[in-house]
Amino acid sequence: MSHLQTKTLRTFAAAALIAIVIPPAAAGELDGQTLRVGTWGGSWQGIQRKRIATKLEAMGAKVEFVKGNPSANLAKLIAARGGQAPFDVFEIIDATLPSVLKGNFLRPLDLSLIPNSKYINKDRVREKVIATWNTQEGICYLPGKFKELGIAAPKTYADLANPKLEGRVMIPDYVSGGGLAMLSGFALSQGGRLDNIKPGLNLVKRIKGVQFWKKGAQALTGMKSGDIYASVIHGGWCVRAAKAGLNVATRYARIDNNTVGVVKQGWIGIVKGTKVAKAANIWINNFISTDFQVAFAKAKGAMPENREAAPQLTDDALLNRLMILDPDKMDRMLRVDFSKVDTSAWREQWNRAVAK
Amino acid sequence: MGHHVSGPDRPSAARLPRRLLPYRVTRWIAASLLHGWVLFAYVLLLAPLIVLAGASFDGAENYAFVNFPPENPTFEWYFEIPRRYYESIGVSIALAGTTAVLSVVFGVPAAFGLVRAVLPGRPLLSAIFRSPLQIPSVVIGISFLHLYYAMGIAMGVNPAGSFAGLAIGHFFHSMPYVTGTTVAVLQRFNTALEEAAISLGASRWRTLRRITLPVIMPGVYTGALYSFMVSFGDIPISIFLTTPQFTTFPVEIFLDMDQGLEPPMLAASTLVIVFSLGVMLLVQKVVGLEQILRSAGARK
Repeated sequence: MSHLQTKTLRTFAAAALIAIVIPPAAAGELDGQTLRVGTWGGSWQGIQRKRIATKLEAMGAKVEFVKGNPSANLAKLIAARGGQAPFDVFEIIDATLPSVLKGNFLRPLDLSLIPNSKYINKDRVREKVIATWNTQEGICYLPGKFKELGIAAPKTYADLANPKLEGRVMIPDYVSGGGLAMLSGFALSQGGRLDNIKPGLNLVKRIKGVQFWKKGAQALTGMKSGDIYASVIHGGWCVRAAKAGLNVATRYARIDNNTVGVVKQGWIGIVKGTKVAKAANIWINNFISTDFQVAFAKAKGAMPENREAAPQLTDDALLNRLMILDPDKMDRMLRVDFSKVDTSAWREQWNRAVAK
Repeated sequence: MGHHVSGPDRPSAARLPRRLLPYRVTRWIAASLLHGWVLFAYVLLLAPLIVLAGASFDGAENYAFVNFPPENPTFEWYFEIPRRYYESIGVSIALAGTTAVLSVVFGVPAAFGLVRAVLPGRPLLSAIFRSPLQIPSVVIGISFLHLYYAMGIAMGVNPAGSFAGLAIGHFFHSMPYVTGTTVAVLQRFNTALEEAAISLGASRWRTLRRITLPVIMPGVYTGALYSFMVSFGDIPISIFLTTPQFTTFPVEIFLDMDQGLEPPMLAASTLVIVFSLGVMLLVQKVVGLEQILRSAGARK
């Protein structure tokens, strides 16, 4: 037998051995399934694609992202009523949750497929939704500028009405992601209630030359340019500004004697009628896993709901400095039950008050 | 002896006001002010594009805001543009082109009907054709979404999330531009040209092809161009009708902006601006924009 023949024979033998010893790739348990996830775009979706979608794809699923904020996605769900929904699982924020639940768009979660739910506070694991993250709405400000003006760091929202800050304060527009949280905080810190936000609207009017942001990047660009000295925005944006080299600090405004700061709560649910319920439940389990929650918090400043994750953030100097990481303090932040809020009335009052 | 003409129309030299400055100087000042004003207007219009393009070269390690002028300029972000941006630009161009073509195919005959046909209630019909311009785009988007899902339930065919579904939504919004500009040129059209052609033996179809259409082409091109631009830049309609398979570039950027203005986004936007300018320059060089848009657009 020639050297070439021997070599060829050996190659075939090795291949045959490998084929016998190593079993064929096991069929993934999600083979042939396409999971459509309704969520925000950009890096929010990017981190989910990198850290969760890859896991489901390894199980044989295909993952597609339907980009949109919760309100736009809810509009799509309403339009699709009676037909196939445009996504299988989607992210919801607290203000939109009552409408989603009232519309009966979601199916019950299968907690046996979501074992990580044991790490979430029991009151945030519900029949059809589970809490996934929260953002800490506060005041991001430039301490250097406050020092120049000779004013103390803001402790309450009312401190932003300091005449020295005229034209230097930016707050979220009602329609922005932080608008409802801001208005809740403003109203309740000024003695109002969820059914009486007038004190909060009066505070908005007292802040002379106040500007409004619709996207968080607007506020940061204003602070970078030096036009804006303080912005009502969630702490994650402040972390991003600090990472980009801006000298910023945060304060979480006192709402009352027992409450400091406002939380905007994120949830996730599975759409009724989905054909990929198993994949959807597995997606949620991965979303609330400790690893993902830690990575998500560090990347986006969206604080974890997984109790195991929060302690792992204390090694991050910026998060330590700019966010509230103490679980007790986090529990004392204001969480608004939007099922008790007439957001249409709020919007009308906002338009009247701010348009004046 | 010279004649000195004076009378009621010509004041005598003694009554003429004295010039503070020579005429040449005042003319120079006026021209400078005008040029300065025009330059200011250009700067105002172009400044946002310059800031965007400049920020796309920012070499910061962490980005949270638009940084202009850029620090440590780099081309890095142009190589980091995600593939989905290129795909969405392709979708937007194809969609805008399709919308412009559909708008012309349906809008031009509609314009002829509105101008030439003897129809009862023509003003009402004209208002109906213009009405999509009065409806907020977001309402159009939601309405089409509902319509498509209703079609899905009733007929088993749901165009939502398909290219056709997007094109129809855009076409609804864009057609009035073509109809409007074509109506305008048709109303100014001298019908004697058509009568002359017919009297010389040309058929109606030949008259339309060789006389009428070339003359009204500037209006059609203008409408088609508006239609293309409106479709390319649309967000409110597309945001409800796009899917992961078909997402337009403005929607991709708009939805990504929620998470910040990242340099690859700025880089992709700059490429779109450069591409658009390039196309306009090419059209100018090859065809000549004035050639298309001037009223003597009849084929020679």
